[in-house]
Amino acid sequence: MSDQMNDFLKDYQAFAQQSWDAWMRSMQQPGAMGSFGTPPMGGANDDLLSRSLASLKAYGSWLQQAAGAGQAATMWQQSMPMQPFLAAFNQPFAQTVAGIDSASAFGFDHQWQSWLQAMQRAGQMGLAGNMGSNLQGSWPTFGITREMQLDQQALTAAINDYLQVSARYQALLQQVNSKGIARLQEKLGQGAEPGKQPESMKALYDLWIDAMEDAYAEMALSDDYREVFGALANAQMRVRKLQQQQTEQMCRELGMPTRSEVDSLGQRVQQLRRDLQARKQRESQADASEVDALQAEIAELKRELAASKATAKVRPITRKTDADDGKASTRAKTAGSASGKRK
Amino acid sequence: MSTPLPFDPQQAFNEMATFQRKLAAGMQNLRGLGEQDYANTPREAVYSEDKLTLWHMKGSNTPTAKVPTLIVYALVNTVWMTDLQDDRSLVRNLLAQGEDVYLIDWGYPDGADRWLTLDDYLNGYLDRCVDAICKRHGLNAINLLGICQGGTFSLCYTAMHPEKVKNLVTMVTPVDFRTPDNMLSHWVQSMDVDLFVDTMGNIPAELMNWVYLMLKPLRLNQQKYVSMVDILDNPVELKNFLRMERWIFDSPDQAGEAFRQFIKEFFQQNKLIKGDLQIGRQPVDLGMISQPILNIYATQDHLVPPDASRPLGRHVSSTDYTEFAFKGGHIGIYVSGRAQREVAPAIHQWLRDRT
Repeated sequence: MSDQMNDFLKDYQAFAQQSWDAWMRSMQQPGAMGSFGTPPMGGANDDLLSRSLASLKAYGSWLQQAAGAGQAATMWQQSMPMQPFLAAFNQPFAQTVAGIDSASAFGFDHQWQSWLQAMQRAGQMGLAGNMGSNLQGSWPTFGITREMQLDQQALTAAINDYLQVSARYQALLQQVNSKGIARLQEKLGQGAEPGKQPESMKALYDLWIDAMEDAYAEMALSDDYREVFGALANAQMRVRKLQQQQTEQMCRELGMPTRSEVDSLGQRVQQLRRDLQARKQRESQADASEVDALQAEIAELKRELAASKATAKVRPITRKTDADDGKASTRAKTAGSASGKRK
Repeated sequence: MSTPLPFDPQQAFNEMATFQRKLAAGMQNLRGLGEQDYANTPREAVYSEDKLTLWHMKGSNTPTAKVPTLIVYALVNTVWMTDLQDDRSLVRNLLAQGEDVYLIDWGYPDGADRWLTLDDYLNGYLDRCVDAICKRHGLNAINLLGICQGGTFSLCYTAMHPEKVKNLVTMVTPVDFRTPDNMLSHWVQSMDVDLFVDTMGNIPAELMNWVYLMLKPLRLNQQKYVSMVDILDNPVELKNFLRMERWIFDSPDQAGEAFRQFIKEFFQQNKLIKGDLQIGRQPVDLGMISQPILNIYATQDHLVPPDASRPLGRHVSSTDYTEFAFKGGHIGIYVSGRAQREVAPAIHQWLRDRT
């Protein structure tokens, strides 16, 4: 029976590998397939595809590992033991979290390392091949490059700080892993009676997800996590900020526009947009007030005209008076004024 | 742990083989599906400014509602969650009920928008959209339907411009930003937001997506795709899945200054309910809101927990305050079958009773 199992596993692994390869080939055809998953940032095309498929592959690997782990001959005579399944769950959580990092997110180690290398090549930093010793602490600075040395020390210290905080963050995630497994065991223990146990590998996997998410949520809402999460974000921002400052320095030397200059321009443009909108609004309100005034004036004139006509109908014909002349003159003037405003 | 599992090894291997077989076969179904469309309801652009577009949504029939309703969505993700597909569309459902619907598409901020503040968004963009609709309809006030952060914006706007809002509907809207179960809020409490924005400028969409995935990392980044294998042989379900994927990751960057203000003043300092919030030069006092309010929250919302939404009733002066608890999550409230049956009709009925 054991030989049969080994043969099956070999065949299965070959089949699985062929399947992944086929997926990769298909997805490499531009626009050929619907896309899903985290849109990765940067990197080679194969890397992007691998990351999109990572979740599926992780599950496939787990199925393979979990089922293969208990291939002792005794398995075929009794129900499968639990331990091999739990062992197969050992790493996926940290892998999953690592898998959803992007260049914009906190897992940016590879990004700043690339940046460091680029800066070293450009001769902007004295850290080439010597990060280890530079991370040990500050050293006296002097001479014409004193300011640059200070900048480098600040960046080195910031990177060092980031690495330490990142290690604390990873340690917390590792705790989630072990707590999640404990919760899974607890859940399985609670459902030990017939009918309440997972009846398939997928059901066991779903139960594991529930257990891990419970453990993660508890951790994520803890004071420790809040403090480390904040520290991680802050440490990364300090590194990025110092990177930007050094990049700006290089840009200035090369005569290129810098981020600070673009920001300054953007800020002024935004203020101009506000001023423009405010002016439009004032003009619109002024126009509206003017239209209202004109409409009121026209209405008043119409009322006066109507009143005048009514008076004319009932009034006996008499000689024209000076007062009438004055009124007529005023009307003509007002109408002329309204007409003028309309123009 | 010695508890044995009840399924036999042969079953496990069968399951493993089935998974791989489905995966291999699914490749054929995925081939050629390409990008899935959304936002298919006919619409007309009636106002635009910078990256923003105000859309008037067109139903099959002339609206029966006398007062139009403006949907105000969050700055994160896009408003098209409300119009994902024909049979999963809050917008279509509202139009079918006779509502006259407008919505704001905030657009995709770039470097030129890095200095946009909440004042620019609310007392600028939103206010001018409301004015444009009022002018089109010859009205002094319209209905607002605010969603998530857009709900918070609608509350602030109503408090600052009460004369322009007739009825207010809030959906999955955070009001108390410091409840113990609010994971997003918990995470940002120790962050130096000034350093964050000064460094990042605009906040990249990928970073926002990463944060949202980290709320439930295994469920959202692994289990979801494992479950996708079960629908690889169902083209309709697969298209729905891909459409949702497109929406999830079709995210705008966040304008830096607005992000800074929102995180500091709402998430960290919880000023909206403390009553000392100011946007631009205007104080934002929820007590100024006396309009009828329908507050809809989702009982299984992992982004905006119900406890973050429910306090609204305690902070407004409205004597006509209604809550509607939807059994579902933050996204299900728009796209689930239950949502199609319950949410739009509830909104329509509530609005109709107040015209």
